[in-house]
Amino acid sequence: MTSLHKLLSAAGVAALCVAALSGEALAAGPSCSGGTIKVGAVSTVTGPVDFSEVPKATQAAFEQFNAAGGVNGCKVDYTISDDKADPQVAAQAARDLIDNKEVVAMVGGASLLECQVNGATYKRKNVLAVQGLGVDAACFNSPSIAPVNVGPFTLTTAVSYYATRSLDIKKLCAFFIIIGGTQEAYKAAIENWEKITSQKVHVLDLTLPLQGDLTPYVVKARDAGCDAVINNAVEPGVVQWIKTADAQKITGINWLFLSPGYTEQVAKALADTRQPVYVGTEWEPYTDVNSEANKTWVASMSAAKRPLTAFSQGGYLAAQVFIDIVKGIDGPVTRDAVTLALLKMKPAKYPLAGSPYVFGETPTHSPMQSTKIMKLENGAWKVQTPSWVVLPAT
Amino acid sequence: MNALLTSVVAGLTGGGAYGLLGVCAVFTYRLVAVVNFTAAAIGTTGTFVLVMLYEAGAPLWLAMACGLVAGTVAGIAIGLVMTAWFAESSASTKAAVTVALLVGIVAIGLRLTGGQHPHHFPDLFPGSAMRLAGVELTFSSLLTIGLGVVFTVLAETFLTRTRMGLHLRALSERPMAAELIGVPVRRLAVLVWGITGAVTTFSLMIIAPQRSPDFASLSLLVVPALAAALIGLFRSFWITLVGGIMIGVVEGTMSVFPGLSQYRGAVPFLIILAVLLWLQRGARWDEAR
Repeated sequence: MTSLHKLLSAAGVAALCVAALSGEALAAGPSCSGGTIKVGAVSTVTGPVDFSEVPKATQAAFEQFNAAGGVNGCKVDYTISDDKADPQVAAQAARDLIDNKEVVAMVGGASLLECQVNGATYKRKNVLAVQGLGVDAACFNSPSIAPVNVGPFTLTTAVSYYATRSLDIKKLCAFFIIIGGTQEAYKAAIENWEKITSQKVHVLDLTLPLQGDLTPYVVKARDAGCDAVINNAVEPGVVQWIKTADAQKITGINWLFLSPGYTEQVAKALADTRQPVYVGTEWEPYTDVNSEANKTWVASMSAAKRPLTAFSQGGYLAAQVFIDIVKGIDGPVTRDAVTLALLKMKPAKYPLAGSPYVFGETPTHSPMQSTKIMKLENGAWKVQTPSWVVLPAT
Repeated sequence: MNALLTSVVAGLTGGGAYGLLGVCAVFTYRLVAVVNFTAAAIGTTGTFVLVMLYEAGAPLWLAMACGLVAGTVAGIAIGLVMTAWFAESSASTKAAVTVALLVGIVAIGLRLTGGQHPHHFPDLFPGSAMRLAGVELTFSSLLTIGLGVVFTVLAETFLTRTRMGLHLRALSERPMAAELIGVPVRRLAVLVWGITGAVTTFSLMIIAPQRSPDFASLSLLVVPALAAALIGLFRSFWITLVGGIMIGVVEGTMSVFPGLSQYRGAVPFLIILAVLLWLQRGARWDEAR
């Protein structure tokens, strides 16, 4: 791996030298043949879930960029491919975008399984992916993919860290639904929390069912004496968990969830509860539309008539990262140039996210290490941490 | 507190639901000879009508009444499909048709109800009735079991003691002969579908607030329900009811053992498999002789 990096750096230096030598002849800034920069995204649109809001926000941001004239006359030609949550379709979609459409990068993708399926292809073809929403563990575990979101695993660590730091938690319990190959990633997330806080997890249960009655689990958490429970359930699961806790008249446990729980529907469905419910966000809380950090995103999405959701924040942010990368390129915007620019980029701060985004040359990427915590109050989410909760490095 | 006892009691909430829905499945099977995979989906449809109306600000009793009507209508609609086109088909064909209908209803239901986005399910019978082994037994879960018992007794009495029950049994076992001796076959069959539609809807309205509040999860409650019905061999209401409760209890107990609890979702399937193998033992032996 190191020798590869050396090779890449050498190639980079060589390319820079060549660019420097011929630099006098070229105008500063990016140029492109035919006036277009081809970009793609593989996303789950149809299938068990619909993540299309993410790439559609990327598309909206690119359209506005194009309408404003692009950069040096270069405009983005963006293609969204549906992987239907089917590995074969996902692989085919990536190959089509890379070989036939000749995209320079993948931007704003959001898929149940795309990272797992296409990580190796991206590496082989020297294409990098700025994922709009990294979902599966492979999105945070590949040299060619760097999502703009925190992701469920880092978020598990970050929300647990917040609980230990600010809620004075002594007995943290973790209950996870394990699908696909996520078991190791969740275990690592909890181990990471243990390292940061020098505490031990009180109960770690990796057997939470997707379907079925939750009473035995909620009772188990109570009887074990947990004072906080972190849980990776998605929307309906969050509601069911809290309703079960209410039915069991449980008090004194802080319930911590990840970003899938952070929706207005969950808040409304749990309007009657008195349980302390917390969620960690991927970005600046999207429900806080008046926040300064959300300003450009709100303006952009409102102009494009796209919904103001967390998903559209991810898509929008991915587009911004890519546009900035392109603006920084001197010379033709080719796949190699974009890849090099991403590998060599300096960390870039965006108001939507608490951590600076950086791709870089590390073997895995998880640049986003910050969250804001929301608390459920009378059927609405209230910002609990006005400033970012930043995970300390281990 | 003994963790095992606690988990057994905790399993009652799920078990009561499986038992009640299982009894409904047996009722449908004994009267119209259909293994009905859409049962829970019909109930879910009615329940979502309640939820949507309630969310739109309708009073609870009105929303509930409309939901019950919708569930009954959904049941009758499926009944009409089954009696009009598949009355003479084999049991396996009918079961396959209901599976196809289930997939269709879930797909449409998920679209119309906002997919995974949860809804606010009002608790029709809020509160906790008693505390047993450290577990709160809610009115809803006790009511589910109680309703299962009531429905079992009613169904048993209706089928064995009344003339109409006799007609219905004739209808399911020999539909052609029943029609020839003047039993109003179509009307009775549709009536049965309507009644089971109403009962499953009412059951789902009670069960839903404690379950994952989305269309697909609620519709798939039919799987443990059919497992319970299979334990009763699609004949005995009592064995079905007890079988359903047992499935819930086994599920609850398994969550205590870390090694086993990840296979918890497989319990209904294992029970279906075990019962099928047990039933086939005679055939194997006969063949061997």
